[in-house]
Amino acid sequence: MKSEKVDFLVVGGGPAGLSAALEAGKRGLKVLLVDEGIQLGGQLVKQTHKFFGHEGTYASVRGFEIAKILVKELKEYKNIETRVMTSVVGIYEDGVLAWDRKVNETFRIDPEYILIATGASEKYVAFENNDLPGVYGAGAVQTLMNQFGVLPGENFLIVGSGNIGLIVAYQLIQAGANVKAIVEITNKVGGYIVHLNKIKRLGVPILLNHTIVRALGKERVKGAVIARVDENYNVIPGTERELVVDTICLAVGLSPSIELAAMAGAEVIYIPELGGYVVKRDEFMRTTVPNLFVAGDVSGIEEATTAMLEGRIVGLMVTSEKKKVNLSDEIKALLKELEDFRRGPASERVRKGLSKMGIKIASGGFRTEVQKSKGPIGKLRAVIECPQPIPCNPCETVCTFGAISTGGNINGIPWVDYDKCTGCGLCALKCPGLAIFMVKEDVERNEAIVGIPYELLPIPQEGERVVGTDRDGRPVCEAVTEKVIKSKDKTCLVYLKVPLEYADVVRGFVISPREKCEFICRCEEVTVQDVEKAIDEGYTDYEELRRYLRIGMGPCGGRTCRLLTLMILAKKTGKKMEDLSPGTFRPPTIPIPFNAFSEGDEN
Amino acid sequence: MRRITEHPILNFNDKKKIKFYFEGKELTAYEGDTIASALIANGIDIFGYTPKKGRSRGLFCCIGKCSSCLVIVNGVPNMRACITPVEEGMVVKRQVGKGFFKEVREVEK
Repeated sequence: MKSEKVDFLVVGGGPAGLSAALEAGKRGLKVLLVDEGIQLGGQLVKQTHKFFGHEGTYASVRGFEIAKILVKELKEYKNIETRVMTSVVGIYEDGVLAWDRKVNETFRIDPEYILIATGASEKYVAFENNDLPGVYGAGAVQTLMNQFGVLPGENFLIVGSGNIGLIVAYQLIQAGANVKAIVEITNKVGGYIVHLNKIKRLGVPILLNHTIVRALGKERVKGAVIARVDENYNVIPGTERELVVDTICLAVGLSPSIELAAMAGAEVIYIPELGGYVVKRDEFMRTTVPNLFVAGDVSGIEEATTAMLEGRIVGLMVTSEKKKVNLSDEIKALLKELEDFRRGPASERVRKGLSKMGIKIASGGFRTEVQKSKGPIGKLRAVIECPQPIPCNPCETVCTFGAISTGGNINGIPWVDYDKCTGCGLCALKCPGLAIFMVKEDVERNEAIVGIPYELLPIPQEGERVVGTDRDGRPVCEAVTEKVIKSKDKTCLVYLKVPLEYADVVRGFVISPREKCEFICRCEEVTVQDVEKAIDEGYTDYEELRRYLRIGMGPCGGRTCRLLTLMILAKKTGKKMEDLSPGTFRPPTIPIPFNAFSEGDEN
Repeated sequence: MRRITEHPILNFNDKKKIKFYFEGKELTAYEGDTIASALIANGIDIFGYTPKKGRSRGLFCCIGKCSSCLVIVNGVPNMRACITPVEEGMVVKRQVGKGFFKEVREVEK
């Protein structure tokens, strides 16, 4: 059997593994990175949203772009070897067994240090018929649509409202699918408020205290039954209802993929806050086996950003030990950064989970108040709707006028200094949460401009009339597209002119739901084009058109459409109006209730 | 058609087409597809039938972890459709049950 001797074996080419390989590789270690998938990047490759964080952690860069950046950098180092489609199938005391699926061969790796960065797998949930094709892990749907450009259905139900559920719902709509509902068994949405708001603005129903009861269908999903639950999460009988969906996405959490670490002898502990069974590790990511490290979701379900930081720490740790160099300043800086990322309320579970491993993370120390002022009426300015402390500050760093501040800590809620804000809109284009809007009122003209970050199709044309929608996606007023700014990273900023009283209401829009139709028959909704097409097909008198198109057969009895139809007929056929038959006139002349006839009979 | 042609963020440009076979029928995939993505794009959701209860089975995790998508590829059973790239002329079949050596032997003949 072939064998390969390396300083550092990285198992898993996701954000954690790539980051670790890079840190060690650029300091000269001989690194081998293996990944089971067909390409490097792990689950980054299907993330189309911009990441939170700060400039140093690729904030405001879309996940799949981050994967490209990391992989490109990795390829610059000849001492880093990468192998995709290669699975580690066993870790033994005296070596590692891997299987290269490309050539269907096993080989042996003799590493001095190992990082297990195998990520996680989708959690499953029990309900009737949950094995039907069409029931997917939410991540699977994300892989299909964003990595391969394939939508597995048209109408989707999402189970679970954590960040994954919310993000997948949004991305499904971006890909052109319908999201019928998100059901959430608890009484509150699990994901970030900014992710939630994006979905709400699109009018997706989010049903709290609801769960899925069964999938409908014989061979594949044809629908779903959902129901309300009580405080113990039991279904309340009689509240079941059917949804017509063809795909069900389960976004009910992730399970760390601990198998390899566990078989290598690392201690595994059950910490529900971190996703279930996780690999025990110290603050430097070392497991209970001295030369074995973990990073990313395998050591607790968290975010890609923290996975990258953890991976970098491992890369530095391994380098410092192998090369006997002092990298403690670099490592401390990354630990500090990790701590900052975990300070906020969204990381409460992670902090609690880590404390069970003996790792204490500080919390708080950032601004939690939302800015009361929405700025001076009449000035074009940024209005930030980001009410939850999350570790994210691109709005602050992108503003060249120093008008936005998170108050000294990345978790702080951003405030705008309206004396400094020039209304340039850069922050609105940059904000990963699409949570910054541009507003300018014109009291004299009784109108306002609202700038909305937009990442959907179609993109409205300047001057196009649209319907303004509110924060819950409800149509509220007419609006006109004033200007569309398209940024290089595909986010648009669409400026709408709306009535003044909607300046603080309109936060989205729909492009006029009406197709361009010229009606001549209002009752049966027949258009000029329908009539012209029918004439072209050979229906050349009024009676024929009536039978074919039902024109004139609605409740008005032809009062609106008869003359117009005859005029089109005359024009198309070259006949004179007076030579055309206007058709017959039949009772009743107006809609009349049936019981009027029956009562007449009785009398 | 389940292929996304327009997307506000991503580009799914025309890629090279690949022909492969599923249950004897010729299907088209695109370069870069896995067996799973190609089957789903062709409207095929049922990848096999389970060993014990004979229930229809499809794709579930799509990243090689759950083994729900096992199919028979060129006679070899238990291949994970979601992390196996589709290749020109590849013969894919639904897997019924656990997969048997006879499938392999048939191809080797």
